[in-house]
Amino acid sequence: MSVTIFTALPLWHSFLLLVPAVAALVAVVAARRATSVAAAWRYGRAASVVMLVAGGAGLVARASTSNSAGMLLRADTEGTIMLALVSFVGWVVIRYSQSYLAGDPHEQRYISQLLATLAAVAVVVVANHLVLLTMAWAATSLALHGLLTFFGDRPVAVAVAHKKFILARCADLCMLGAVVAFGTSFGTLRIDQITAEAVAAALPMGARIGIVLVVLAALLKCAQLPFHGWLIQVMEAPTPVSALLHAGVVNLGGFVLLRFAPVVDRAVETRALLIIVGTTTAVIAALVMTTRVSIKVSLAWSTCAQMGFMLMQCGLGIWEMALLHLVAHSLYKAHAFLGAGGAVRQTQRKQLVAKPPAPTGASILVDTTVVVAGTYAAGWAWGKLPFADPPSATVWLLVGIVAVSLVPLASAAHSPGGRRTRLPLIAGTIAIPLAYFALHDVAGQLVPHGQAASPALLVFVAIAFALLFTIHTLCVLVPYGGLSARLYPWMYGGLFLDEAFTRVAFAVWPPPAPRSRPSALPNIAAAAFPDRTLA
Amino acid sequence: MTIAAAPQTQPLAITAHIAAACDRIAPTWPLDQFIAVNPYWGWRGSPVADAAATLGALAGTSLTMPRSWFRSEHAAGRLAIEHIDAFATSLGDPTLAEAACAVLQQPIDQAQPVLHTMALATGVRDLGGPPQPGQTWADLVTHQISQHCAAHFDGWQGSWHPTQNVDLFSGWRAQLSASHGVKWRHGAGWARAQIASLPVQPEVTIAELLKALDIPAAGHESYLTALLLSVNGWAAWCAYRRWQARLVDADDDAIIGLLAIRITWEWLLRTDAEARDDGADGTAVWTRWTHSWAHAQDAVDAIAIEQRVDWILQGALEQAYQGTLISALTDADTAPSQGPAVQAAFCIDVRSEVFRRALEATTPNVHTRGFAGFFGLPISYTPAGSALTRPQLPGLLAPAMNVTEATAPGAELDDMTNERAATLGNRRAWSLFRSAPSSVFSFVESMGLLYGPKLVKDSLAHTEAPAKWENDGLSAESAARLRPHMSIADGDPAAAAGIAKRVLNAMGLTDGFAPLVLICGHGSQTANNPHAAGLDCGACGGQTGEVNARALADLLNSSVVRGHLAAMDVVVPATTWFVPALHNTTTDEVQLFDTDLLPEGTSAQLRQLQQWLTNAGDRARAERAASLDLGEYAEHSELLKQAVLERANDWSQVRPEWGLAGNAAFIVAPRARTRHMNLGGRSFLHDYDWQLDNDLSVLTLIMTAPMVVTNWINMQYHASTVDNRRYGSGNKVLHNVVGGRLGVFEGNGGDLRLGLAMQSLHDGHSLRHPPLRLSVFVEAPRAGIDSIISQHAVVHDLVANSWLHLLRIEPTTGEVEQWTPDGWQPHR
Repeated sequence: MSVTIFTALPLWHSFLLLVPAVAALVAVVAARRATSVAAAWRYGRAASVVMLVAGGAGLVARASTSNSAGMLLRADTEGTIMLALVSFVGWVVIRYSQSYLAGDPHEQRYISQLLATLAAVAVVVVANHLVLLTMAWAATSLALHGLLTFFGDRPVAVAVAHKKFILARCADLCMLGAVVAFGTSFGTLRIDQITAEAVAAALPMGARIGIVLVVLAALLKCAQLPFHGWLIQVMEAPTPVSALLHAGVVNLGGFVLLRFAPVVDRAVETRALLIIVGTTTAVIAALVMTTRVSIKVSLAWSTCAQMGFMLMQCGLGIWEMALLHLVAHSLYKAHAFLGAGGAVRQTQRKQLVAKPPAPTGASILVDTTVVVAGTYAAGWAWGKLPFADPPSATVWLLVGIVAVSLVPLASAAHSPGGRRTRLPLIAGTIAIPLAYFALHDVAGQLVPHGQAASPALLVFVAIAFALLFTIHTLCVLVPYGGLSARLYPWMYGGLFLDEAFTRVAFAVWPPPAPRSRPSALPNIAAAAFPDRTLA
Repeated sequence: MTIAAAPQTQPLAITAHIAAACDRIAPTWPLDQFIAVNPYWGWRGSPVADAAATLGALAGTSLTMPRSWFRSEHAAGRLAIEHIDAFATSLGDPTLAEAACAVLQQPIDQAQPVLHTMALATGVRDLGGPPQPGQTWADLVTHQISQHCAAHFDGWQGSWHPTQNVDLFSGWRAQLSASHGVKWRHGAGWARAQIASLPVQPEVTIAELLKALDIPAAGHESYLTALLLSVNGWAAWCAYRRWQARLVDADDDAIIGLLAIRITWEWLLRTDAEARDDGADGTAVWTRWTHSWAHAQDAVDAIAIEQRVDWILQGALEQAYQGTLISALTDADTAPSQGPAVQAAFCIDVRSEVFRRALEATTPNVHTRGFAGFFGLPISYTPAGSALTRPQLPGLLAPAMNVTEATAPGAELDDMTNERAATLGNRRAWSLFRSAPSSVFSFVESMGLLYGPKLVKDSLAHTEAPAKWENDGLSAESAARLRPHMSIADGDPAAAAGIAKRVLNAMGLTDGFAPLVLICGHGSQTANNPHAAGLDCGACGGQTGEVNARALADLLNSSVVRGHLAAMDVVVPATTWFVPALHNTTTDEVQLFDTDLLPEGTSAQLRQLQQWLTNAGDRARAERAASLDLGEYAEHSELLKQAVLERANDWSQVRPEWGLAGNAAFIVAPRARTRHMNLGGRSFLHDYDWQLDNDLSVLTLIMTAPMVVTNWINMQYHASTVDNRRYGSGNKVLHNVVGGRLGVFEGNGGDLRLGLAMQSLHDGHSLRHPPLRLSVFVEAPRAGIDSIISQHAVVHDLVANSWLHLLRIEPTTGEVEQWTPDGWQPHR
């Protein structure tokens, strides 16, 4: 286990780190004061370009120096990667929003709230002081709240944003608790010093409480079961807001844990929490995803599952994979949301070929055996599976998860068709685990991995994913069979967890009433038919 | 409350009421074939004002704009007092003119008069406590039904479905019984038992529950109609299934299942409420509610009286618009001109008008004419080597034959089929890897980073036209060799010539052929747009017209077919060649097809034609520039073209083009009647020469098919504008595609949304589609038009019930008169 060595943060470097946030903040003010919407967009786009360049420069600067940290800010690998990621997503989303939101009566407000959210995220990812981190994280959520209630006349939008508001404030309270706990036990609120202290000696009770609170905040903000409902239902905000939320905000929980990695590694209860909640969410949300009927809601369940998987990786101590997962998922999900309008064209393309017959049980069994054996063999050949080294149990687990993911490709590879059909699929089936190993190696160069989790937790994860694979396979084999039919209503209902949570949460703190909003087209129901009276 | 033991058969009256309620619902086509539909189609048998009053009472919708809009039209000078006077006088009720004028003089933001709608049981429950804060019972019920319908009908989004091989109602019963999402006062077990006690057949359930709810017989039909209108989106989807089934003489009863679902909710909510609301007050509300349905007609009548003024305003505005066309129509110089180098047939679509005008302004050597963009071919189309077959004709018709591609000599169709199957099969496997629950995590880790470059590529502007998706899985080389071909031309050339003759006849093009005849379909070019098909050719089933244009040209260029045509007295000179083309309505480019087949010696003519088309494109784009917010480039054709092309490819563009917004007229006359007019892209144009139509067959066809299609388009835009919440699809930035193609939700859920998005009607500053009923101008003698109206119920309904205005251009004088129930009257 290596410990990141920090040097003090050079002045020019901290300046560079702050450029994205400052650029966005300046643009917020400029956009608010702009006399025309076009001018406001010019400010927004200019800021997004500055962010993009500064984010890229931050990466280059980090690559050419070593990790460094100051009182407030920190320039380390995961932070500069995140800063570049957020700046990139911000650039994409702002470009996209300009024509997408054109003509909306609150366009100008949208620009400034979007920029404010980006500014807050840009501070979260460079913060080294726990109070700054806590404030910036809360500010992210508050700025985002304005975007989530952009259509404040829609009751669902208001109710869902309120649901998120409640959870986010709970998370903020957790973070405040963590501030107190770490402050009292370590006497410092610099995250680099907290992690150094944690590595140096056994964790004091205060720090254990602190890290549990940070983990709880991450679970709440990453929309883990049963607090996931808001993430699924925020399709009431414009598409680019969803893209930003899923690519640059909801994953901050994982990023904050990365910052605290050495502390998490040393607190067994946090690892159990992360692995159990994360794995459960990943498995259930992935199954629920397949029952969804609309593209955006399906994507949202997918995010819920992916966040669970990432938090599980944090719990397993494979921080390098958590970082890879976070970044790769951001790019994928931003694209998926922004391109969600293409769902119909996708369907048309799919209609060009007949659906192949469902595979047989025997063939799936053979495929699974072949790909699992092959993937483990490849992993061994790559040097991923030295049998003696302690972390190898974790790697065995990960390679297994990759292996079963290849079954759909392998099944298609021997479905009817010429040799030309098979070759690319077989090549893909081989290339994917290799790409995975290569990326694992690269990520491992960037972020050190932590200690292995306890065997019981590894077994739990293994069983959970074996169950996921089995249930999915049985549902493919026997679509309307007993298991499928019995499980379906529960998965379709998302285990009814959100209904239960909402009932409790809204009983404690009911959502505000929707606001009125200027409407381009007549609202007949409101204008002429305000009430349904009993004649 | 419990229901009585189910009798063996329900009374006939209920069956009739159910059928009547279901018939009120117009279908909605899936997004991949998104043709325009008149959402009031089921009401065409009633006068428009009566239908509006009924819809107001049963669903709280309106068929006219709020009065404030008419006041602003008045302020803008488009609606004058004299228009009101003239229109009210033509109706014989001058007192209404006073009332209408008084409305115009009110302050612009004066509130609308309050109208009363009939309540459903969900509405009565909403008088009490909500199911949870921020949600009404009505929303909860709609959402639950909507989610179930989506899961039941989904074929392309989810991979795990409820049992879909049962009927909609049974599936829903199982679904709600297994749900723990609703907080019943009596508990989930009670709800399960209640649901289990219902008869299996939807019709029987409906009959039983009407009895259990104690709805008076006089109100049955109104109540059932109101129930369906409360889940209008899915009702329309079920109506589509029924429509498709009935086109092939089958039937589909999903809509009755939906009605049974909705009434079961009513009964459950009422029954669940009564247990606790058993005080005198609670019972009184329910009793009052029940009785209200005996007097639904009173609510309708009250609205009808209130809305008389609105119909005066609406009619006056439409008459004012007609006035702007009439003098120009009368002044036309209709002297025929001879010998064009090119004849060009375009779709009747309003967007063609802009381009045709531009083309005619470019050169006098091109004569254009308007014709339905499917060019009269009753076909479906199967891309070569694919599993897809789709209609390429108006939704009113069922395809009679299939078109696929014949490969050019040297190509082997089997090879292509295999090529496609291989490539697309692989893509399917990859999409499984991307979406299977046990693969998604590894997919993200191994492939996710590749989406970074994709984000950059999609964010940057570019001008290359996207490849045709129908050619997916084929190499560019293979795709270039494909030509749509009607096999009937080989198998039965005489029958093929019969089709060709009918088409040429209907086009009015049976002699005087120019050396080149352009057969120009149209299509749009948009990116990331769920409603892309809505911008394509509606006459081609929401596809581009490419297949129809190429198949027809192929047919007409065949020497064998021409031989048979000559035997039918249609002589196509050997020097004439039909050139298929596609007008891209988003970019105003025209692509010519199959030019490699052109006979020798025509290349100079072809180059000349291409030059004209290029110049016309520049003109048409310049005219449209301001409407696309590109006015600054209007004088710079190259920059403008680049901007328009980039806009067409922009994945974030919610207003790639204006589609048929603004449509207000349909002119059925020779082009000479309108050639000198700038119709502003607001008029459908169909060429028609009454002198060539002795047996009225052509005019009958026009009035029973294209006129109905234009009514569907016009009313889709109208309804989406006046009540976007019910008949439009809301805000595009919230669109969420359902089931891969079924439709969209606005946001998280709610009902399936129909019609057009707000962005397709409004530019953020002003309305791009002033909702005016279509004014149909026909240049033909009275007798012919009258006989068609009297012989065709659909035409009669549309005209007599004022779903459109019918006007007649007297061929000799060019004077215009108007159809009224009392006969033809001069236009005022």
